[in-house]
Amino acid sequence: MNAWLAAAAALLVFIVPCGAIVVRGTRMEALVALELVTTLSTLVLVLLAEGFHRSSYMGVALVAAGASFVGNLIYLRFVEREL
Amino acid sequence: MASNDLAADVLLVLAVVGEAMCVLGLLAGRSAIDKLHYAGAASTVPPCLVAAALVVKERGSQPAINAIVVAVLVLVLGSVVNHMTARVARRRSVGQLTARESEIRRP
Repeated sequence: MNAWLAAAAALLVFIVPCGAIVVRGTRMEALVALELVTTLSTLVLVLLAEGFHRSSYMGVALVAAGASFVGNLIYLRFVEREL
Repeated sequence: MASNDLAADVLLVLAVVGEAMCVLGLLAGRSAIDKLHYAGAASTVPPCLVAAALVVKERGSQPAINAIVVAVLVLVLGSVVNHMTARVARRRSVGQLTARESEIRRP
């Protein structure tokens, strides 16, 4: 266990309370919490790539950064259509 | 411990503390807009701190460059998503994007 893996573990723990808001909050609160979860997960992937000394894992973080953006926009579009 | 490793560890700790503060703010926020402030903050400083830690550790190698690209992506795209979310939250709560008469403070 090195500092990078410890930081990744800490960020993973932070996802749990955000998940609680996704489950129990209102629709908009759940969307906001989901955005934070995607940010945390992208950072976790970067930290894991460095913690395991596998630079090839960084590609997953790059894709996650872009894909989470698209996913969040799709959810927003669905919520906006309810208006 | 080398000074580079120490500096990288300090930056990592600061990034984790920053994310912790954002999660606490998300839990404490009363409305979706209040929570959005903290969700937006989480996509600005902490990713840059993580990228800085990687640059300090790895110098100009490929992982450092990749981390910088990820940080820039999270910063820019996260800002766009935050703006879109704020617009949708405003329209859901008030029904319009522009300020209502009661929200305008006149001198």
